[in-house]
Amino acid sequence: MGRIYRIDMTDLQVRTEEAAGSYAGLGGRALTSAIVADEVPATCHALGAENKLVIAPGLLTGTGAPCSGRLSVGAKSPLTGTIKESNAGGTAAVNLATLGIAALVVEGQPERGKLYRIIVSKDGARVEPADSLAGLGNYAAVEGLFEEFGDKVSCLTIGPVGEMGAGAANIAVTDLERRPTRHCGRGGLGAVMGSKGVKAIVVDPAGGSRVQPADDAAFKQAANKFAAALKEHPVTGTSLPAYGTNVLASVINEAGAYPTRNFSEGQFEGIEAISGERQREIILERGGEVAHACSPGCTIKCSRTYVDKDGQYVTKGPEYETIWAHGADCGIDDLDAIAQMDRIEDDLGVDTIETGATIALAMEAGVIEFGDVQGALNLLDEVRRGTPLGRLLAAGAEVFGKAYGVVRVPTVKGQAMPAYDPRAVMGIGVTYATSTMGADHTAGYAIAANILGVGGSVDPLKPEGQVELSRALQTATAAIDASGLCLFVAFAVLDEPEAMEAICGMLGALQGRPFTAEDFAAIGRKVLLRERAFNRAAGFTDADDRLPRFFKTEKLAPHQITFAVSDEELDQVFNFEE
Amino acid sequence: MTVPAVDIRLYATLRAYAADRPSVRAEIEPGQTVEEVLRAFGVPVEQARVIFVNSRAAAPSHPLQGGERVAVFPAIAGG
Repeated sequence: MGRIYRIDMTDLQVRTEEAAGSYAGLGGRALTSAIVADEVPATCHALGAENKLVIAPGLLTGTGAPCSGRLSVGAKSPLTGTIKESNAGGTAAVNLATLGIAALVVEGQPERGKLYRIIVSKDGARVEPADSLAGLGNYAAVEGLFEEFGDKVSCLTIGPVGEMGAGAANIAVTDLERRPTRHCGRGGLGAVMGSKGVKAIVVDPAGGSRVQPADDAAFKQAANKFAAALKEHPVTGTSLPAYGTNVLASVINEAGAYPTRNFSEGQFEGIEAISGERQREIILERGGEVAHACSPGCTIKCSRTYVDKDGQYVTKGPEYETIWAHGADCGIDDLDAIAQMDRIEDDLGVDTIETGATIALAMEAGVIEFGDVQGALNLLDEVRRGTPLGRLLAAGAEVFGKAYGVVRVPTVKGQAMPAYDPRAVMGIGVTYATSTMGADHTAGYAIAANILGVGGSVDPLKPEGQVELSRALQTATAAIDASGLCLFVAFAVLDEPEAMEAICGMLGALQGRPFTAEDFAAIGRKVLLRERAFNRAAGFTDADDRLPRFFKTEKLAPHQITFAVSDEELDQVFNFEE
Repeated sequence: MTVPAVDIRLYATLRAYAADRPSVRAEIEPGQTVEEVLRAFGVPVEQARVIFVNSRAAAPSHPLQGGERVAVFPAIAGG
């Protein structure tokens, strides 16, 4: 049983408790959503003292299980007004788990304008003033922290946009190279951290030890089986390490589902220049790194290191979603420019999906032209300086669209859609519409069966079967997010029964009790129903589980198709019980 | 008379079978299947996990008439 550190930012005191009662045995998203649902008034202001920022490693994190180093961060979201779990790699989750910590709960609120840092170590947690970090970008902030605390620590930081309290603000997590490149990106959780006056959380793993499973021999056997399954599957063993997440760009474009120029078309004429194939060539030509791990124990290695023409580090990846948001969605076909924007946004501490989508809206609104790289960079400078225009951009797509009178605003529950047009991939449209998180591809990745032929096959251009597909995936995803496993293990799990058996084997051996696939699904159902109950209490109804109207009225080329899943069908996604 | 041809696009690891070119024009006999065209490139058909003909998912047995855009992917995923 792990410890929970409650860090009260009103009196700057830390209280320690065991993760007992209804929190016992929970990890990752299951724990963050349980604490937020139980303790945060659903109707509170997300940036007020009543909200809580909950940071938790997964159940398997720290055990040495392959790909189990994911971190869940939860709160009420200032972007969506819903409950939120945002998930990242990096080193923090493993370091928290090996210190025996189930969760950090940042509560209350200090005097406005004060900044602090939280230091977590084997001796507990403490709060210290950090006014000198005010306004720093994530790169500069972590550089100073590593100098002071040594190379082994993990840093969670917010950039200047988190300090501003903007809806696109994220939380950066440092990676194995001590760079702030992994992000709890979605939902504005950086603004929640900023509202608590917390600029940085430093986790020092010294004195920690591996999480000990109840039956270690059985655990290691299951973990080895899991590692073999990941290695053998062509996606997790070959294509993700070779090409990274952006391997998707070409296939989504060929499917006519690659949102182009603010969701006005489904194919981008500049695709080849920003494809995963071209990205790999550029990285290898310049001496960058492919097959890079984003967290300890990652065997898939879908991350990469992007360097400039002189071989100098620019940023990680960039990832598929980032390349799309600043590429096709903005009509930009220049990978170097996209990498530059990724680096700037990682430093500012903003979600690259939300920010790219908002820049595309600025283009649609005529603030700058589609394809205008310098114009986009100028907009990011407005964000950095916190000008009124910059603040509107950092508030996210929905707010910006309203302010500039844009009709085509691709958001659900206030969150910008990622890189799949729901008209040409209707399963992901069901997930966007109904997820407890707002428009989120990871919540139920229907692309797998709709486009990629992974985990079955459901025609993406027809409404039939999409609700069942999205429901099953949303449930499985919630359970994976509770386990601390990287969501990408799902590609192997969906195709190979032995991968699912291995996960159950690890969870059973960890807890010293039999654990079945049904137990796993039950975790997912419970998480979803709890999150949905929070959203209902916050005022959300079935009418919020909808795509913007234009997806039903504007036909998308090349298929000349509109989103055809009916409202009545969408309302069936959550027709299950615990 | 023009010879019927299709635009073949091999992606990810399959691109090696097209000498790393993003797009290759291939002359066909009308009625030839995707599988037959792929075999001419030396592509192991079992590796052709996702096929699009003019942006629509197609089976390896899909017959071609000429003028189509044929995109072929190995097992990939990401996101």
